[in-house]
Amino acid sequence: MKKRLGIISLFIILFIAFITVWNYSYYQGQEEAYIPIENNQPTPIIPSEAGVFERSKYALDYTKMPVDEIHQRTMKNYYDNRAFHGAPPSIPHEVSSGERSMGENNCLKCHENGGYVEKFNAYTPVTPHPEKINCRQCHVPQKTQSLFKETNFKRGTIPVVGTNNALAGSPPVIPHQLQLRENCLACHAGPSAPKEIRVTHPERVNCRQCHVPNNKVTEDIGNFIRKIEN
Amino acid sequence: MYTSTTNRRSFIKKMAVLSAMTAAATMFPGIMFAGEQEEQLPKGGNLDWKKAPCRFCGVGCGVMVGVENGKAVAVKGDPKSPVNKGLCCVKGYHSVMAMYGKDRLTKPLVKKNGRYVETSMKEALDLIASKMKETIKDYGKDAVSIYGSGQWTIPDGYVASKLFKGCIGTNNVEANARLCMASAVTGFLTSFGIDEPMGCYEDIDHADVFVLWGNNMAEMHPVLFSRLLDQRLKRGVKIIDFATRTTRTSMAADKSILFLPQTDLAVANAICYEIINNGWVNTSFVEKHCNFNKGLTNMGYGLEDNYKFKDKPEKISFKEYKKFLEDYTPEKVEKISGVSAKDIKYMAAYYGDPNKKVMSLWCMGPNQHSRGTWMNNLIYNIHLLTGKISTPGNSPFSLTGQPSACGTVREVGTLTHKLPHGVVMNKKHREFAAKIWDVPVENIDPKPTYHTVEMFRALDRGDIRFMWIQVTNPMVTMPKLKRYRDGAEKEGRFIVVSDIYPTPTTDIADVILPSAMWVEREGMYGNSERRTQYFEQMVQPPGEAMSDTWQLVEVAKRLGYEKQFYYKEDSHIEEIYAEYRKHHDNKKHNMAPLEVLRENPGMQWPYVEGKPTKWRFNAKYDPACSNGEDFHFYGKPDGKAVIWQRPYEPAAEEPDTEYPYWLNTGRVVEHWHTGSMTRRIPVLHRAMPHSYVELNPDDAKRMQIKTGDMVKLTTRRGQIKLPASVNERGVPAPMQVFVPFFDENMLINEITLDSFCPISKEPDYKKCAVNVEKA
Repeated sequence: MKKRLGIISLFIILFIAFITVWNYSYYQGQEEAYIPIENNQPTPIIPSEAGVFERSKYALDYTKMPVDEIHQRTMKNYYDNRAFHGAPPSIPHEVSSGERSMGENNCLKCHENGGYVEKFNAYTPVTPHPEKINCRQCHVPQKTQSLFKETNFKRGTIPVVGTNNALAGSPPVIPHQLQLRENCLACHAGPSAPKEIRVTHPERVNCRQCHVPNNKVTEDIGNFIRKIEN
Repeated sequence: MYTSTTNRRSFIKKMAVLSAMTAAATMFPGIMFAGEQEEQLPKGGNLDWKKAPCRFCGVGCGVMVGVENGKAVAVKGDPKSPVNKGLCCVKGYHSVMAMYGKDRLTKPLVKKNGRYVETSMKEALDLIASKMKETIKDYGKDAVSIYGSGQWTIPDGYVASKLFKGCIGTNNVEANARLCMASAVTGFLTSFGIDEPMGCYEDIDHADVFVLWGNNMAEMHPVLFSRLLDQRLKRGVKIIDFATRTTRTSMAADKSILFLPQTDLAVANAICYEIINNGWVNTSFVEKHCNFNKGLTNMGYGLEDNYKFKDKPEKISFKEYKKFLEDYTPEKVEKISGVSAKDIKYMAAYYGDPNKKVMSLWCMGPNQHSRGTWMNNLIYNIHLLTGKISTPGNSPFSLTGQPSACGTVREVGTLTHKLPHGVVMNKKHREFAAKIWDVPVENIDPKPTYHTVEMFRALDRGDIRFMWIQVTNPMVTMPKLKRYRDGAEKEGRFIVVSDIYPTPTTDIADVILPSAMWVEREGMYGNSERRTQYFEQMVQPPGEAMSDTWQLVEVAKRLGYEKQFYYKEDSHIEEIYAEYRKHHDNKKHNMAPLEVLRENPGMQWPYVEGKPTKWRFNAKYDPACSNGEDFHFYGKPDGKAVIWQRPYEPAAEEPDTEYPYWLNTGRVVEHWHTGSMTRRIPVLHRAMPHSYVELNPDDAKRMQIKTGDMVKLTTRRGQIKLPASVNERGVPAPMQVFVPFFDENMLINEITLDSFCPISKEPDYKKCAVNVEKA
């Protein structure tokens, strides 16, 4: 009898456990079926490190790549194609994929990894932000050289190579905003990099180990004051 | 793994170069040494950056403006702004260049014998004041008017309203937002009793499905669209583009559904039918929080002068509403709309699925619509029936097109019937405003006068004799333009235009005042998500250019209202904002104080106890909810939102044998509104130098038209010629054409129709009949 009671109570316990587990999983199933949002609050003081290592897999290739003297870009080409330092460059070629596309793969086919393009007799500049696919939101072609009205706009001083280091020979600081440009090697290495800013040591990969941003907005936290005197 | 980058030979070479450079540095003067270098380190990379909201659209991106030697020289996105998180669009990035066009107006110009003569600001303001006095004396106070804009800063609109409504005593205050946001306002007021979206941009990070109602977001709200795309990359959300034309947005969307113009009314009803028919109604939500209403139908289109319409809401039961929807089964609607029943069911299924969070987004499509208010109501119906509202990710979201359409026109209330708090028709609201304005309550006229279209008709008729136009370009934007231009040019009309460049509107002016724009002055804008953003003055305005606020204050003083316009020149923005805040001193609309705005990338109202409200009407987030339930639609006296019975009705002018095509107008990513600013930005002008007419490839083939050929468009209002665009940026459906409206040399509004939504009085720029020929 005792044994039987034991078996029955065992089954009862098992049954209750089943009900509890079943209930629990049922209510879990009721939870809203969507992936929770990561609230990626922008960090104003320390710029994002995401992307620094993005193209590091190509670093060794870059060191071995011969310099193609004839097809080098220069800082002059670089600045001619944008309104001011930091402005999105315009599209200096016809867009064969048509106007209806926002860009996406049509642009990324060439601009994601670069390479020599026979048609334009040039190396394709590599975008540092291939994940932003509405390219035409910021980059527009130039269909005419005419103006609607003349402008008095003057772009400000542009950073000059060789003046960005605090001491002679010390690593130059980064004279531009890092957002959308976290991926250093995209512009500073490879055959499409403007010759003045092409890095001599792409294989070092961890660029921001030595090169720090010099940017009031993201960096300025006031003068450092030592609070506790000893 | 170690790879040597330098073999010995190249190392020696490099050393040689380096030592040569060092030698050079010592020999040539002007080459820099460490100390000097450090001083000059900021070079270019470290301008004086100051934050501002973007000058252009209603998204209200935070931008950082780089200033060097007193000139704005660069722009970058503000990573701290929760709106755009550091990203801008091509207009925003180049926005500062809009201040430096060579033909910038720097001195007041007065028309004398048909020619503009330069004068001083003092004389010009004296002239305006004396002309206003004279007009009021000869024709009465309702003969003077002001026509402003959603680009007015909050203080601009506030002093305009105070001067005209409070002091002069006329309700002749309107703004161009009537042409773009009025249907959204009446939509909110009829459905919820209180204006502006319940949700915010953060909804984008929570929603699973996005339905874009006639909204080419990829071009018109690119920064928000990129946020959608970002979410698709991260979470695989769905984007459905529901439109009349194939655009970049359609190409980017997961699904593109085309409908025939005006039939969105029927499709929205069909979605409601499906929701009810499939039992997807959130019954407890609807029972607790919703009423059912019907209004008048066959309202007309406002084509005739002095057209009047007043809706008569009438309560109906759920049963009656269900009965009404029987005319809108997907199969029936398929025949009217050209949208397959399958696609209607597909959209309805997403709205109906309790596990999917849905965000509806729209802007000019449902707003510039001859049944705009209805269209807004219908979208809310869908969200109310399913209870998908006021919670993160479940959001019907009405976007805006101007930086302060919400902040100034809707919140300050620069529309004929509005006061900063409430409406002129309400005695309590008048008393409240009069007290803050320090004017006798009798000053505020209880009767609204003219909405925008009627105001320009009144100018034509001669009922209005004086009009002051600020920050807007109606001689490009008014529909059926010729009538209104001819009217404004008639004898005995006096037009003052405050602007920064010569435009077709300054061409009709008797006095042109040079204005200080954007960061050449101090001010605030309010964006689509109820975010008020402050900007300081960063650069000097050119010549005698003066802010619109101060122009109005100067004239007000000359009219004898020194007591009401007591503001001091160096602190007037602060004083005006502090005074304005008093109008909204309640839990439902409290605005953040200026100190908070200065320190933050904008702040959302209602700002209660030091906190912004992200989701209104939801007790979890909104401290103004007081009924003890989860939701409280406190805009309505009984705390319930309204589900409206709104039928499908055809547009004012539909294609016929004589004019067989639909004409649709709109915008492109490169230009903002009438292009008076963006066309003076070389990058943007060169990307989009002129307007064009988009044709469907089949229509073009039949007429033997290819891209670049001139095409003649003829409507009952007139004709214009434009180059054709076939298979380029957008592709209209067969027998439809599309024209962007930014080009003052190819004014599409010469031939558009001035029909409007009878409730909101907002014109329908997207539908009229046109004939298309090869020119």
